[in-house]
Amino acid sequence: MNYLDILKNSPDMVSPGISACQGCGGELVLRRVLQVAGENTIVAVPPGCMAGSGVVGWSHDSGMKIPVHIPLLDNTASFLSGLSHIYRRSGREDVNIVAIAGDGASADCGFQSLSGAAERGEHMLYVCYDNEGYMNTGYQRSSTTTEGSRTSTTPLGRRFSGKQQPQKYVPLIMSMHGAAYCATATPANMPDLIRKIQKGLAASKTGFAYLHVFSPCPTGWSFAPDRTIEVARRAVKSNMFPLWERDGDGWTLNYVNERPIPVSEFVEGIGKFSKLSERQLASIQRAADERYAAVSALASIQNRA
Amino acid sequence: MGSIRVLTGNYAAAEAAALCRPDLISAYPITPQSSVVEHLSELVHNGELDAELVQVESEHSAMSVVQGAAAGGARTFTATSAQGLALMYEPYFRMSTLRLPMVMAIATREMTSPETIWSGQQDAISVRDAGWIQMFCDSNQEIVDMIIQGYMLSEHPQVCLPVNICYDGFYSSHLTCGVDMPTQEEVDAFLPPRSANHSALLDPRSPLALDPMTPGELLMNYRRNHLAAMQRALEVIEETDRKFAAAFGRSYGGLIEEYRCDDAELVLITLGGMTGAGKDAVDESRERGIRAGLIKLRFYRPFPAARLASALRGKRAFCVVDRSVCFGWNCGPMYVELRSALENCGSYARFSAIGGLGGADISVADMARVIDRLNDIKDRPGEYGTLWLMKDQEAEV
Repeated sequence: MNYLDILKNSPDMVSPGISACQGCGGELVLRRVLQVAGENTIVAVPPGCMAGSGVVGWSHDSGMKIPVHIPLLDNTASFLSGLSHIYRRSGREDVNIVAIAGDGASADCGFQSLSGAAERGEHMLYVCYDNEGYMNTGYQRSSTTTEGSRTSTTPLGRRFSGKQQPQKYVPLIMSMHGAAYCATATPANMPDLIRKIQKGLAASKTGFAYLHVFSPCPTGWSFAPDRTIEVARRAVKSNMFPLWERDGDGWTLNYVNERPIPVSEFVEGIGKFSKLSERQLASIQRAADERYAAVSALASIQNRA
Repeated sequence: MGSIRVLTGNYAAAEAAALCRPDLISAYPITPQSSVVEHLSELVHNGELDAELVQVESEHSAMSVVQGAAAGGARTFTATSAQGLALMYEPYFRMSTLRLPMVMAIATREMTSPETIWSGQQDAISVRDAGWIQMFCDSNQEIVDMIIQGYMLSEHPQVCLPVNICYDGFYSSHLTCGVDMPTQEEVDAFLPPRSANHSALLDPRSPLALDPMTPGELLMNYRRNHLAAMQRALEVIEETDRKFAAAFGRSYGGLIEEYRCDDAELVLITLGGMTGAGKDAVDESRERGIRAGLIKLRFYRPFPAARLASALRGKRAFCVVDRSVCFGWNCGPMYVELRSALENCGSYARFSAIGGLGGADISVADMARVIDRLNDIKDRPGEYGTLWLMKDQEAEV
């Protein structure tokens, strides 16, 4: 089915009135994932932008039409592991077990539990919406923040300007856990995202499925809310965020980038990059080149086999 | 009719947990608890126990996995010690405040620093205000019986709280003794099936938000209910002890055990494995004409204030022996609690004793020294300085 038909025919599982910012990439990801997953789903949304925007609920009210829990910032994958075992044990493997977690809950303090669950092959779909920082608490740095970014804990100071370290490239680390499925996606490539959600849900019936979704944040990154899709598209075209997947058959590069744009075009118009030094820009370019080369090489190994 | 088996405390705990038919076990190894996990893994791998076994990368995840399973309606089990308990504190607190029942064994161990792996009760005592029921054992038989009772108590509709069954690391966890192990049929008949009183909180068939943002007034309501459940547990503990005695012929006295207290003037108050040495010292002092008795505190949370006050009524002097410290009070933590439990505390001659930290022994001689000091001060009510049960320490009378 065409992805538009899928979305047209799948009801939204999230309350319409949540308080995510205009142009939020994360909200788009959350809604699409749960639309595809449907009502036979249990979702965990740890502290972060999505939980903060009210999708878990307030007081006696739920923010969703499906069962939802806000686990701890650092135990989403472990909490869902236990739940998933019980659903399998009671013969209800049809229930989708899904996590929608930010990069802090996935790549930083939640990384240990995420890694553990992936290594154990726990049956779930874990979606990381990566907006490169702790956006709901005022944009503090995370390990996935791009080098040189201005955040509230990596300010543009006289001595140190922006984040001093390169970004941790989490999806490739996750792919080395022997997961049933591992992929990257962005809201700018919707057919690809919907296909990967479907594939991830199917894989979650036999093992651990991980989806790392690039989720631009207009508020924290300082760009106009109507540019979210464009920013995500440029991330792919500049190789900042290559699209790939690894399943039982091996690696596939989903967007073969024959003429990448320079990362200077990606960072353009994004306020958090406004004071990048030449050295920082060169370092970001190197990281993007290396990332694409690595994923291409992995995909070519698969092709030869 | 069960069989007599020779088991370490850890094996006894594992066997008892298995008899309770947990749906899921998740744990991470740590000295001195590791053989609990090892033995349960053995039972599952040999097909003797039908349970999900989730071998995680940390105690934080162990508690999180059982939390997820409990939210799915499961009966669960885990075990830990010291640093592992400290690491799991975050989901540990949440287990009780989500009011999810479960049983966790703690082979108690001293907290680092200084670096140590040996016995002590500082770990469990340090988390006494995290909302769990905490029970302390002093024999391997008691470990078995209390794990079984623990599930009944934890899942009781009037309680609905997780339960710690604590026993001294190494002293109980590693020492073998004969244990009368109930049969599966006996335990099945005693414990109600899990599904009878609990269903999944997270289920697409009845969608709800588990733990949405909660305003203060509502949160206070939850806390008040939690405290009320703890108070109801005081009665459910006594009732469970009676039910267990009727089914298995063993009673432990419920919240506290009183030993030779009826005509005692002086009372030792103990917790966990030190109790045996205390009872020996009481027996010896009785032979010397000293009217000593002993109270073993069995439940630390909820704190059995009324039973303790009643057991101490008419006595002249008491000492609380703690295997942990209370940093702000220059004495043992159980001593602080006991003082709060007694309206007429000032009418007793009393002191705190601290011993057995970091694997140090609490000997019969130590307990005898405590009794002798109580005998010296019994006619002069008041508080006397903390006694450290160390070889080179003089009593500070």
